[in-house]
Amino acid sequence: MTRNKIHSILLSVFALVALVATQPAVAQDAQQSYPTMAPLDQYLMDRDAEIALARSAAPDAISRDASVVVLTRHGYETAVEGKNGWVCWVGRSWLAMFDHPEFWNPKVRAADCSNPPAARSVLPYVYKRTELLLAGHSKAEVIAAIKAAIDKKELPALESGTISYMMSKSSYLTDSGGHNMPHVMFYQAVKDGAAWGANLANSPIVGVNYWYLSTDAYPQLKFFPPLSVFLIGADKWSDGTSAPSM
Amino acid sequence: MQKNKIGAVVFAIKSFALLIVLAAAQQASPQNAATTSINMAPLDEYLTADRDAEIALARTAAPESISRDAEVLVLGRRGFESAVKGKNGFVCLVGRGWTSAADPDFWNPKVRVPMCANAAAARSYVLRMTKETELGLAGRTQAQINEAITAALAKKELPPMEPGAMCYMMGKQGYGGDSAPHWPSHLMFFYSDTDPAIWGANLPGSPVIAVADPTEHLTQFVIPVQKWADGTQALPATPHVHPSSNGAR
Repeated sequence: MTRNKIHSILLSVFALVALVATQPAVAQDAQQSYPTMAPLDQYLMDRDAEIALARSAAPDAISRDASVVVLTRHGYETAVEGKNGWVCWVGRSWLAMFDHPEFWNPKVRAADCSNPPAARSVLPYVYKRTELLLAGHSKAEVIAAIKAAIDKKELPALESGTISYMMSKSSYLTDSGGHNMPHVMFYQAVKDGAAWGANLANSPIVGVNYWYLSTDAYPQLKFFPPLSVFLIGADKWSDGTSAPSM
Repeated sequence: MQKNKIGAVVFAIKSFALLIVLAAAQQASPQNAATTSINMAPLDEYLTADRDAEIALARTAAPESISRDAEVLVLGRRGFESAVKGKNGFVCLVGRGWTSAADPDFWNPKVRVPMCANAAAARSYVLRMTKETELGLAGRTQAQINEAITAALAKKELPPMEPGAMCYMMGKQGYGGDSAPHWPSHLMFFYSDTDPAIWGANLPGSPVIAVADPTEHLTQFVIPVQKWADGTQALPATPHVHPSSNGAR
């Protein structure tokens, strides 16, 4: 699989993973489609609907006892206190890599239920990035602020065993292809997918760098801690119905 | 319950029991499940006469894009030995009953389960497998092997699972034992002392199954995948966990 194909397949970071291999030209088009942030209201949704969507990311056996966070005008806030350590939420497009062409796509709604290690060590990055962007900071400023927070240990190191479920039938992950697919995601402190054999022919694992597609646009991301996201497709949605084969 | 009894219960159901349930759901071959290999068979029956055939079988565990550059181990009279040097960190081998089958097939000489472990698993999980294999070939009983592994872990002669340790078990070929002749295509992930609940494993609707063995300080997570290593479509494998093998003991 070529680098370009991988890039066009993936809209990753924390949750957003596109599913269909498309031509590099698609990414070009998308880049022109979402050059800046849309009006904030386009990213928000009805609170109850957002809670329901967030919970649909995982089977009920997990999500019914999970905390739920929802997006407000200033960032994510807890809407439901859980009791099993999991946190369900709906990712927006700006949680993709900083140079992803759909970074400002207001249609993206990526339902995710993060396990306790991910809730402790991945979600703080989600919250920080979201708050800064909603406050009007540029991508470069956000990158600098996150790096500073990492250096000062205000943001945590990745915990072992981080995983999230993204099995909602109702997510919208990308403009590409069918817009959605059920999968589980893993976070690993490595810079690429080689450690898991990801992205190779017939491998069921897709992997991508968490921070960037390339470091051309934001070279400072090269100095971030190595972090990759791996996904493995599931054959069912969270409600138990069959999903299309990957 | 006494410590020994707890240990006996834990070891009675090895992690692969979970996959047996998966495999049984797919294959429905209960007529074979009653066969039990109580004693070790003659050593030659565990060996593969054709070294090249064992290498080829080991490589079927992962897509060719991974296994072609992997190191390959084959079973010799005293244990696994390197037959092919690799260059991508992965290690492929064919597990025998004492590491790669359910308890009834522990000594079943027909068991051949190919796997390709990544570098992190090669440095941790595979070391444990090779140790168990050496003990098995030396004629130790299942209880003696379990005891030796537990002791080696306590003395730190065997390392804990490395972060990111995983393996591919996507081979169409091989033989999982009389109780589960063919495993579904799947990936495995290895952790030390991890609660399966951390991954939401074994819950209704979850695509993840797991078992924790506190004595061996090992938790194994299994995720079925939709294709075999050669890219052909695999049968859907719906996780179904036997109540007694959820690692909660």
